Amino acid sequence: MPEVDFFHFFRKGVGWIATVYATVVMLQSLYGWWVYLAAGDRYTSLMRRYLLVQAVRLRFWRFAGDLAVCVLLCVAFLIIWRAHYTIYGIETALADGPRTTQTK
Amino acid sequence: MAHEPPKPSDAPSHPGISPLPRVPGSKLADLPADELERLAEELGLEPKSHKTKLHLVAAVEERKAAVGAMDRDAMLDVVRWGRRPVAVNASKEQLALEIARIKSMRFDGLSIRGLMVLATMRGMKVTGKEPPEAVAKALAKQEGFFARVARKRRAIVGKWVAGMIGEEEPADGEYQFLPSEQQTTAAAPPPARKEKLAEEIEESGLFGGIASRVKKTADVYLNQKLDEIEQRIDRKLDEIDRRLGEWRDKEIANRIRIMKITLWASVAVAALSLLYSYVSVYFRTR
Repeated sequence: MPEVDFFHFFRKGVGWIATVYATVVMLQSLYGWWVYLAAGDRYTSLMRRYLLVQAVRLRFWRFAGDLAVCVLLCVAFLIIWRAHYTIYGIETALADGPRTTQTK
Repeated sequence: MAHEPPKPSDAPSHPGISPLPRVPGSKLADLPADELERLAEELGLEPKSHKTKLHLVAAVEERKAAVGAMDRDAMLDVVRWGRRPVAVNASKEQLALEIARIKSMRFDGLSIRGLMVLATMRGMKVTGKEPPEAVAKALAKQEGFFARVARKRRAIVGKWVAGMIGEEEPADGEYQFLPSEQQTTAAAPPPARKEKLAEEIEESGLFGGIASRVKKTADVYLNQKLDEIEQRIDRKLDEIDRRLGEWRDKEIANRIRIMKITLWASVAVAALSLLYSYVSVYFRTR
């Protein structure tokens, strides 16, 4: 009978469901904006230009602190992710170690 | 860099005045009588003083030729003196039309060349070499006895009315030409002609002068109100733009906050998972 780790099962399940849900919602939203802004009428053209103007007038440095925190959190997340594989590697090495010594 | 004066255009000097029709001399005789008379009046001629249509045609042709031979700067002097609303690049015909509307007999401030142009437009034969005093005297003589008496009477009535309503002395602002069509429409409009009520009544009569003053006052009031409305709209648009900018910044800050919370939660769960993996590996391998 396979050994089930419920913590990892829950963690991976939630991770996959949340990722797929967020991706689908984001793509739907992007598609909706694309369809709206791709129209050729005068008012949509005005709206396109207005959005561009608003984007150009955006002061990036106002949000620089928060964005830096986000980047650092992403880096921390990647490091922790890699640490998982390091621990799994240690476990494999420890599990393989005694067998190797026995064959000698 | 030298400033080049704008070239004369055929556009009307201001919206209320239509340009003179460009009718060749040979076609003038074909015009209907009323149109010919209107054209003659616009050029400062008296249609009734010409016996036949042919005489009037000849007079109109002569006046048009005289306008064509006039010095444009001298015509601008007259327009400036008479404070008529014209664009600086108005054509000679448009300037002549405006000069013909000037009825003033107060020649103070008019240049000599301007006086010659005015005299020509009022039907006098001048060579330009006459002394200005003589020309002014001839113009006054040309006005006629009854017209002068009527003007004096109107002047007295005008002073009386002006005194009655307590009109203040208008400030003599520098004359400004109307903006030409090539210039931007955002340019400030020229100030309204600051003429005394007494002078207006003297030139146009009691009712004409008062009506003109009421019209000008209404125009000034209307312009002020329109300016106020425009300024209010501009302020509103600025306010809307500022609020949209604030809303955009708040929205972006809010999205970034949500992203940060999600990342904090992900990192916390990842750390918990790491701890759990470490503990489970530690105990499994013992």
